[in-house]
Amino acid sequence: MSDHKPEKKVKPPKAFGWVAEYADDNQLLDAARKVRDSGYTRTDAFTPFPVHGIDEALGIKPTVLPWFTLCAGATGTSIALLMQWWMNSIDYPYIISGKPFSSWPAFIPVAFELTVLFAAYTTVFAMLGLNGLPKFSNPMFTNPKFDRATDDRFFLWVDSRDKYFNTEKVKSLLDSTSPLSVDEVREDDTPAEIPKAIFSVIMALIFVSLIPGAMVLRMRASQSDSPRWHVFFDMDFQPKKKPQQTTSLFADNRTQRPPVPGTVARGELENADPYYLGYDPDQTALLESTAATRMVAFKLQEPAAQEPAATEPPATEPVAEAPSTEPASTEPAIAEPAAAKQEPAPAAVAAETQAATPETANAQPAPAAAAGEPNYAWLTEFPIEATEELFALGKKKYEINCAVCHGFAGYGNGLVSQRATNLAQGYWVQPTSLHEDRIQKQALGRIYYTIANGKGKMAAYASSLTPKERWAVVLYVRALQRSQNASLEDVPEARRGDLSAK
Amino acid sequence: MMPIPTPTKNLARLMSTIASHKVIDNTIDTPGRRSPLVTGNQTYGSLTHMVSRISEEAQPLAWWVTFLLAVPTLGMFGGLIVYLFLTGVGVWGNMSPVFWAWPIVNFVFWVGIGHAGTLISAILFLFRQNWRTGINRAAEAMTIFAVVCAGTFPGIHVGRAWLAFWLTPYPSLNLWMWPQFRSPLLWDVFAVGTYASVSLVFWYMGMIPDLATFRDRSTNKFRRMVYGILSLGWSGSSRHWMRYEKAYSLLAALATPLVLSVHTVVSFDFAVSQLPGWHTTIFPPYFVAGAIFSGFGMVVTLLVPVRALYKLKDVITLRHLDNMNKIILATGSLVGLAYATEFFMAWYSQNPYEVFTFWNRAFGPYWWAYWIMVSCNVISPQLFWFKFFRTNTIAMWIVSIFVNIGMWFERFVITVTSLSRDFLPSSWGYFTPTWVDIGMLVGSFGLFFTLFSLFCRYLPIVAMAEVKGVMSQHAHAEHRHAHSHGHAHSHGHAGGH
Amino acid sequence: MAANTLNDNITMPASWRAAAPILVAVGAVCVLVSLGLFQFLVKSENEATGFRMFFHSYLANYIYCLSFCLGALFFVLVQHVVRAGWSASVRRVAELLALTIPWWAVLFLPIIAVVFGGQGTLYEWTKGAGNVPAIVELKLSYLDPKWFLLRAVVYFAVWCIAATLYFRKSREQDESGSTEITIKLQRWAGPFIIAFALSLNFAAFDWMMSTDAEWYSTIYGVYLFAAGMLSFFAVMILTCYLMQRNGRMEKYVTTEHFHDLAKFQFGFIVFWTYIAFSQFLLYWYANIPEETAWYADRLDLETGWRPLGYLLIILHFAVPFLGTLPRAIRRNKSVLAGWAVFILCVHWLDMTFLVMPNVGHASAAMLFGHFVCWIGMVSIFLALFLFRVGETPMVAVRDPWMPDALAYQQSPM
Repeated sequence: MSDHKPEKKVKPPKAFGWVAEYADDNQLLDAARKVRDSGYTRTDAFTPFPVHGIDEALGIKPTVLPWFTLCAGATGTSIALLMQWWMNSIDYPYIISGKPFSSWPAFIPVAFELTVLFAAYTTVFAMLGLNGLPKFSNPMFTNPKFDRATDDRFFLWVDSRDKYFNTEKVKSLLDSTSPLSVDEVREDDTPAEIPKAIFSVIMALIFVSLIPGAMVLRMRASQSDSPRWHVFFDMDFQPKKKPQQTTSLFADNRTQRPPVPGTVARGELENADPYYLGYDPDQTALLESTAATRMVAFKLQEPAAQEPAATEPPATEPVAEAPSTEPASTEPAIAEPAAAKQEPAPAAVAAETQAATPETANAQPAPAAAAGEPNYAWLTEFPIEATEELFALGKKKYEINCAVCHGFAGYGNGLVSQRATNLAQGYWVQPTSLHEDRIQKQALGRIYYTIANGKGKMAAYASSLTPKERWAVVLYVRALQRSQNASLEDVPEARRGDLSAK
Repeated sequence: MMPIPTPTKNLARLMSTIASHKVIDNTIDTPGRRSPLVTGNQTYGSLTHMVSRISEEAQPLAWWVTFLLAVPTLGMFGGLIVYLFLTGVGVWGNMSPVFWAWPIVNFVFWVGIGHAGTLISAILFLFRQNWRTGINRAAEAMTIFAVVCAGTFPGIHVGRAWLAFWLTPYPSLNLWMWPQFRSPLLWDVFAVGTYASVSLVFWYMGMIPDLATFRDRSTNKFRRMVYGILSLGWSGSSRHWMRYEKAYSLLAALATPLVLSVHTVVSFDFAVSQLPGWHTTIFPPYFVAGAIFSGFGMVVTLLVPVRALYKLKDVITLRHLDNMNKIILATGSLVGLAYATEFFMAWYSQNPYEVFTFWNRAFGPYWWAYWIMVSCNVISPQLFWFKFFRTNTIAMWIVSIFVNIGMWFERFVITVTSLSRDFLPSSWGYFTPTWVDIGMLVGSFGLFFTLFSLFCRYLPIVAMAEVKGVMSQHAHAEHRHAHSHGHAHSHGHAGGH
Repeated sequence: MAANTLNDNITMPASWRAAAPILVAVGAVCVLVSLGLFQFLVKSENEATGFRMFFHSYLANYIYCLSFCLGALFFVLVQHVVRAGWSASVRRVAELLALTIPWWAVLFLPIIAVVFGGQGTLYEWTKGAGNVPAIVELKLSYLDPKWFLLRAVVYFAVWCIAATLYFRKSREQDESGSTEITIKLQRWAGPFIIAFALSLNFAAFDWMMSTDAEWYSTIYGVYLFAAGMLSFFAVMILTCYLMQRNGRMEKYVTTEHFHDLAKFQFGFIVFWTYIAFSQFLLYWYANIPEETAWYADRLDLETGWRPLGYLLIILHFAVPFLGTLPRAIRRNKSVLAGWAVFILCVHWLDMTFLVMPNVGHASAAMLFGHFVCWIGMVSIFLALFLFRVGETPMVAVRDPWMPDALAYQQSPM
């Protein structure tokens, strides 16, 4: 009978039983034992605080509440672990700080918190549920004396639906336990409805509180032509300039500023220094100066034509002619010091090179076209000192990386080529001989560029060779070329005797 | 005799409440015999009246002063938050490299304070420390309000605070992505969220019987209805009490590790990083000890005036204060031990960054903050070795203020000094707060005191039902004692009129 | 109130006392046998390895026993400082356990010897300047044999004074029943706890953490404290249970006390896990090489220690946590005694996990030697304890809180 309450109103009796009032918890306990020993089971006590021993005195059985807590806790742990694992390892995995997708140690804290959250809320709601609360109407409340049940009085109640209930007997039993008073419990006959005013206020509040949610839902479900309503700007509008916009701040009306002459941006050295590139980028830019000027003029007109006038009033004036003078006035100034190194590589040379190697043109028609040969200001001198040591490094690296195709002497007859020729029987295009006239004539920087970026079927070796090693290989290639076309003057005088002896 | 404000039907009970009001030193136990936790010959009825009248009568002047100071301060807090939203986090002093600055210090400070309440309710409950009943309600309320203050700061610190809900794992229609559960900041969301909601429900559940008392004492219909709804129709049935007590002990068993976990997770925010001064394994227990320390400091700060103002000296007795001060002493010394361990281990590690960080804390540009922290947190509680300081309300109140200040500075020292001296000397900086920073700290106190004043005004500030249980228990113990000694004690007997 | 009003037998059975000399012999033999086992079973190119293993094993088992004696001392101090009533009937057991600490000071001598003459046998830093890694070299001003000895003397002094004082005064009370004694002990408990906390913290750093001198963790002292308290409650439960099985202490120690001790044991299972997890999580997450090195020694697959790491999660947390969760088990003293034995076994695994990986990869021979050494050390502990108890009453019968302790009932939790 532990969870049974007299709330079912199938023909409710007018009287619910008898209630006795006591001043002290000891009296209550004595009375409760007496009532229990008389065989009544539908009894209850009402006290301002939990009286210890009353459970035993009334015969109240323990509650199942801890099982609710345990199950809810286990549910919380499982849900948390599954949720984290699924969300971070399955549905949306991404790497962060090198941690595995399923980082179980990192999942423990949330798992613990959800365990407690589930268990705690379940405990409270299960307690209320088992107690049948909230329950605002209770026959006990009809007795004004009962107000002191939450203050300093102790009440013992015998239900009229008890098997052995007999009004007279119960009353006399209770009277014999020296109570302060014994009263009959009567039905609560006050109207059950909520007062109309409160009802309508509550309804109105509920209705009003639904409006924002409904509006959000409607907006999410429908389309609109009007622009987005910005409660917060969310960085959509910022007082700053983006690249390729115009401005009145600078004479060239560009928001994007060119780098300061003679400087290299941090991390950009490999794209600016001839040592890494094999050509001088500044000089190269000068070779294409007219094209560059045209490009800048074109870019400048673009935003002015497209952007609405309202956003950038000072930039509306078209400045077509200004840029052509602007770069012209600055760039020659930078170029001048480096002019001595300039070695023009006209397109004609490239075209001639292509024509001179018909087999290459046949093999790879499209990329080998004259237009593919870059028009760069190649370096003609070594950017580092050509030492014995560098030469040794170059030999080593050449024999590791190049000789398999180009051959140890550079005639394009390496082992790979020999075997491929045997297998492919004519379809194989032999690697370029380094002693070809075309190659002999190439600038140092051009050879370096080929090593770094590859050419035709030859792969790029930038990932295998450091810049220094590349220059070393260039040095070795030059030495090979020289060795195959040597004259007597090339041999040191002290060793010429050896030659003649042979 | 105290003035009797309005003649009510409770007049008789009132008279008995104030009948004898002599001060008993219950801070000493004769070994073998507990001193009463409720003094002044209180009866159940007089206790009910003593607590209930606070919300039934007009509030004292001091309440109005507090409330009318707190509300404009809260208004200022709100205004500053609006200003922050409209302008951006640049209004704060946060800078490179001190990206986590004042707001996080405030967050950890308030979360720490928010530990005493649930601790008193849960841990002291498990340890059967009955003295908790006098102070647990107010401490729990304090916890919740402190957590509200704490929750505000990370909320407004995320930059676009209106999108703070992105922290929750909800199925987003636009993004279809999930939060990063490997981040300690997300653990924090769960920990503080769980803590706030569980503390709230624990507090509310504890209040149900007392709200029913308020309901039953109501003289007007409206009051009866409001407290009637809040108390969910509580009748005090023994069956209800049985499940209620079970639920209470289960909640206590759940809340105890929860309290520990919350500040542990807060400490993880710092400690899982690689920053010297943050990354140290003692952080979890040390943060928890610090949180308990600051929480009890705040409880003493609040309850010393409250017990004087509302004449609750018989329920919140000197023994309660004495015990709390002992806990402050113990946790303060623990915190001191942790400082010492950290310092020693920084040297012992011989990791140059660690060594520098701790040297820099004590003697670097923020030396003043460090020494404020040490003197307030470690040295000032040592006064509680002396009984005079533990039992003199003015002295303990002053020490508790120092504890509050010290614990704020502890978080400041940890957060700011470590960040301001990064690995890279080129990015070193010196953080100084802006007026908005300071205004927000002050404003959060406005929020806290507004809520606390309202709590005093409308809700039962002492857990009456629990105190009555303790009174009954004490009466039984005295009874037993009287029997074993062969003579009767009438002292402290509860229940008899 | 007359002493022992309950007319309960509160002295240890004489047959137990008689076993003490045998246990000493067994213990000494086992420890020596383990040295032999390490020397001859463990295959190694290095002759010193056997000695190294033996001393590591000795240290692990020594700390194993000392930890619960220190836990007992802390328990006594805390019961006084909080004016606890419930524990009056079991506190004497803890007092007696703590009273073995002076003997443990004697058993610390081999470690002192190996620190002075060992040349890195147990602690790498004893090799001295020039022979240790550069980072350890910088710590040598702290990790110095003489300074180490001085600190050990201070730690033991604190513990011995506290243990002796609290036992003697409690015995005095058995005669006089004076409440003054309790008041005095309450007053001194606070300062002693501070001294205890400091000494335990640094003893953990000195004796245990410095076996891997390059590694450090600020939580280490707390970790050892948690392990010690947990095993202490297990020893306490087991002692009370065995006494009761022999018809002793039956009226003083009730189911309520077992229930309370079990709750503390349960609490410390969780606390140990909390501390162990915190340390692991912080080092795992930050992933700094010098910090994870310690875990690498223990959790890398090739070291062979990884299964022990997993075993600790399961046996030191999951199994006893679920096993002692139900209220019914906590109130059933014979089941509880089983769990206490279990806890004492996993505590050994924990101590093994802390120390043994420093000396090398796991091997069956090594673990066997270590196990024999454990048996020996536990026998020595038992002998010391039984000898120390002698005919001393195991209950402080005239403690003023005794009526409280006897009357006390659990709330229905």
